[in-house]
Amino acid sequence: MIKDLVCALDFSAYAEVALGLFVAAFAVIFYGAMKLSSNASARFASIPLSDDVEDPRDE
Amino acid sequence: MATVTDSDSHESPSRSTSDAQLEHFSYDDSIVRMFVTATILWGLVATLAGLIVAIILVLPWLTGGLPWFSFGRLRPLHTNAAIFAFAGNGIFAAIYYSTQRLCKARMWSDALSRIHFWGWQAIIVSAAITLPLGITQSREYAELEWPIDLAIAVIWLFVFGGNFLMTLIHRRERHMYVAIWFYIATIVTVALLHVFNNLVVPAGWFKGYSVYAGVQDAFMQWWYGHNAVAFFLTTPFLGLMYYFLPKAAERPVFSYRLSIIHFWSLVFIYIWAGPHHLHYTALPEWASTLGMLFSLMLWMPSWGGMINGLLTLRGAWHKVAVDPVLKFFVVGITFYGMSTFEGPMLSIKAINALSHYTDWTIAHVHSGALGWNGFMIFGMLYWLMPRLYQTKMWSQKLISLHFWTGTLGILLYIIPIYAAGLMQGLMWRAMDDTGHLAYPDFIETIQSVVPLWWLRIGGGLLYVSGVVMLCINTIMTWSNRPATYEVPVYSAPRLTKAYEDEVSKTDPLKDVPMLELGKKVDALGRMGWHRRWERLPVKFTVLVTIAVLVATLFELVPTFLIRSNVPTIATVKPYTPLELAGRHIFVSEGCYNCHSQMIRPIVSETKRYGEYSKPGEFIYDRPFQWGSRRIGPDLAREGGKQSSFWHWTHFENPELVSPGSVMPSYEHLLTQDLKFDAIKPHVVAARYLGAPYTDDDVENCESISRRQAEFVAAEIVGQGGPAAMHEKQATALIAYLQRIGTDLFRTDPPPADAKPADDGAPADELQTGDESATVDESGAAEEEAQVAAE
Repeated sequence: MIKDLVCALDFSAYAEVALGLFVAAFAVIFYGAMKLSSNASARFASIPLSDDVEDPRDE
Repeated sequence: MATVTDSDSHESPSRSTSDAQLEHFSYDDSIVRMFVTATILWGLVATLAGLIVAIILVLPWLTGGLPWFSFGRLRPLHTNAAIFAFAGNGIFAAIYYSTQRLCKARMWSDALSRIHFWGWQAIIVSAAITLPLGITQSREYAELEWPIDLAIAVIWLFVFGGNFLMTLIHRRERHMYVAIWFYIATIVTVALLHVFNNLVVPAGWFKGYSVYAGVQDAFMQWWYGHNAVAFFLTTPFLGLMYYFLPKAAERPVFSYRLSIIHFWSLVFIYIWAGPHHLHYTALPEWASTLGMLFSLMLWMPSWGGMINGLLTLRGAWHKVAVDPVLKFFVVGITFYGMSTFEGPMLSIKAINALSHYTDWTIAHVHSGALGWNGFMIFGMLYWLMPRLYQTKMWSQKLISLHFWTGTLGILLYIIPIYAAGLMQGLMWRAMDDTGHLAYPDFIETIQSVVPLWWLRIGGGLLYVSGVVMLCINTIMTWSNRPATYEVPVYSAPRLTKAYEDEVSKTDPLKDVPMLELGKKVDALGRMGWHRRWERLPVKFTVLVTIAVLVATLFELVPTFLIRSNVPTIATVKPYTPLELAGRHIFVSEGCYNCHSQMIRPIVSETKRYGEYSKPGEFIYDRPFQWGSRRIGPDLAREGGKQSSFWHWTHFENPELVSPGSVMPSYEHLLTQDLKFDAIKPHVVAARYLGAPYTDDDVENCESISRRQAEFVAAEIVGQGGPAAMHEKQATALIAYLQRIGTDLFRTDPPPADAKPADDGAPADELQTGDESATVDESGAAEEEAQVAAE
């Protein structure tokens, strides 16, 4: 069963399939990222600024 | 005492910190201090090693013929020190400092943190010992032999990776910031690359033979090599940038949306681009083209990162003028932008035909390493030190001086080397009016660039002096530290398991009369699913792993399973035991650092070196030795070109047979005996991996080797060389060199019971099987390459 499946695979099309996969994944991520609310985006972007690191001493 | 609240608490009024159990914790900064110290120490070692190899290149006699200091052995020491010691420790310092703060949690295990630190330093020291001793796989950035590789896998994946993942699981900040994503991608992918590229069959404690051979070994090696650049020198540094740049600029990152897009794009695309290191080689054309295509696509997400970094400084550029930390970051990110534009450009086949094997590659690499990696680390260190040592920096002026010295150093390094690369590429392909090579003597092309190599030494000196300034500033700052470091204690609630963000809670289309499908698409687009991933470290790690694995398999499976990728050549036979021993010497000495073994189907190249290389010629080559730089001529057709005595003299003193050569003397090969009794494990390993050695070959490999060594020694005597040298290492290396590239043209006598060929097949087709088809394809490639070249 598995042997037949592997034998039937056309490896020469892998490159094109992979390119299609990437483009599809990219499109989904891009669309989703653009739909991210400004509020959430601004909040997440500020995470490093609110981690309560001690200020360096000047003396 | 500082108090930290759940950053998401304001999102969900229904929850308050009083509902959750308040926990008290402090950060482990001592481990960060340890990694900072190691980063600075190894930074000095790595840059000094680079300076030394640059000097050895123009003054090869400086080594005095001592084998441990030859360019071939020290260059990998420099690259390993720069990547794994300097950049590696810098990455760890960044990760240990930022992860704790981004997770509002101490590292999960202090013990694992320390095992990681000391284990990694032990690995670096073992590399520093073994590489000069000639214990190497001779595969770029993967030179270390299998016992050290095992240690790397354990320390990296289980100790560092385990500690990191457990810290994420026990974090008190619900959302995983983008820097953490980059760290996850780094840990997962480097582990995958390292393990699968270093699968070997041991032939003793200090030697392992790759399970891949020839074309497939080259493919795997550059899948690893390219992605070492991607996931060791890029993604963790982007994580570093996303944390430390906003901290230093006191501004949030420019676009969080852009960070999401460019993170996933990088993870998906980078993994494919490795074949661009193998354009016009014996790698199948489809893989090369695919590598080029994805490399070109890679430009966009890379520049997404650069733009996100530089635009984070919008409204804060006045700070750059006065803050040397920001200066380091700005120049570092600019070099990242330059390198990531140049990389895709160099992946274009026509450009690669000119640049490959030349110093152009070296300039490209150093603009990235010195500019991006070096400066990002320096900026981070100068920002960290006042916080870690709890005192102000000893000298701000010295930081500025370091910045300007380093910047000038980079420029003085890369500009002459770009010029050297262009000169080499153009001289190698130059033809006169009669259709002959304009510069037939390879040595002429090297001598032309030596003055530029001297300029590089000046640039290197400046860069090293900047690192010395860093060392002085660090020591003086450290000596002003308080008697006891303050350890602030923070309080934060443990994250509750039940959590629903506003994306899931609110549906703006709830009461809108429209198709359910439209509502579902809108819900998908609002990225609630991605937001969930960002709160689930294990799931996120699994998804990154799947992304990398899927991309890898789509390239790997066809490479290994399509038989026509490597057409069989009937006359290609395994190396004799002595030749195998000679090849082991070739590998140990790191000859691939200067001599490639791959003739591309380009007219100027076939005129200079001979028939272009075929994939079927390398099926017994473990590791492959195609190289990526030519400081000396290509050796793919070296067999039979020179007399054995010529090679003997060449090892003794290259200047005698090749005036102006920059190759050091390999006199030790003429004086040290070959251990004939140590050849057997190599033959056994090669046989295990598929080389058709008989039982007799294995059992009698010592006597077979001695017979061939006596034959080579007799040849040397017959050509005017010294007598009784059959037991010297040089005889084995000469036997190997005289064999390289000859199998393609060998005509074996037909067996006694051979029948005449039927159906009119020509004799050469019987000899070479499917290779004839390859010749046709490559012939077309040759024309194409030549058009590009002209």
